[in-house]
Amino acid sequence: MSLLLNLWTILAVSLGVFFFLAGTLGLLRFPDVFTRLHALTKADNLGLGLVVLGLLPQMNSIHAMLKLLLIWLLVLFSGAIVSQMLAQAARSGEIDS
Amino acid sequence: MTHALTRFVLFALLWLVLMPSLLWYDLLIGLLAVLAATWVSLRLLPPTRGSIGLLALLMLMPRFVWQSVMAGWEVAWRAFHPKMPLAPGFITYPTALEPGLARNTFTTLTSLLPGSLPCEHTRDGIVYHVLDIHQAHLEQLAREEQRLADVLPTARHTP
Repeated sequence: MSLLLNLWTILAVSLGVFFFLAGTLGLLRFPDVFTRLHALTKADNLGLGLVVLGLLPQMNSIHAMLKLLLIWLLVLFSGAIVSQMLAQAARSGEIDS
Repeated sequence: MTHALTRFVLFALLWLVLMPSLLWYDLLIGLLAVLAATWVSLRLLPPTRGSIGLLALLMLMPRFVWQSVMAGWEVAWRAFHPKMPLAPGFITYPTALEPGLARNTFTTLTSLLPGSLPCEHTRDGIVYHVLDIHQAHLEQLAREEQRLADVLPTARHTP
């Protein structure tokens, strides 16, 4: 059982790392603020989600699991909101796009 | 009053997740923090007509998560692709959602859709930046709006 759970952790965290890498690659390769925002918010949200899901079975209490899930939700929502605000600022010329 | 109470209970649960201790002095600090959080939340986001029920939001959650998976995959594919297939541009989606809570919820939900990023509210609607202008983004946004309107009956202008 614990072997299966460990395999799950390795698989999910590795996949998560893949998406973080994709987000960073997009940040470096994509041409402007808007496309880079797509890369960072979307790929990294998914990457963090997979890392959290992978770590869940390694926690020793329900409470620690809840805390992990809470961190994910917080990042998910703040990413969704902050990306809009940055895009708005870029469109109105407040930051260079 | 019920709004305040609901928020108080939610913040209290949040506190217990962050600080799972039943010692009296921990609870005292928690009570002060929860009261402060409730007060700030009521000031910054006063309850309005058509507030979103927790249940309705929970019903949208699985879709929200699934979309974030598809969106992450889509952007990862473009970032890794040697030719980096991008055809970025702006589209305007004319929405029937009321400005304020309903519309903001919609933009937040759709900011995780594959390839689209809300960036401005204008009189004609919501302006999205899209990674591929040839995709049927407007149709997809219309479907999402319908889904949100289904769980939020007061969201739309009454025709």
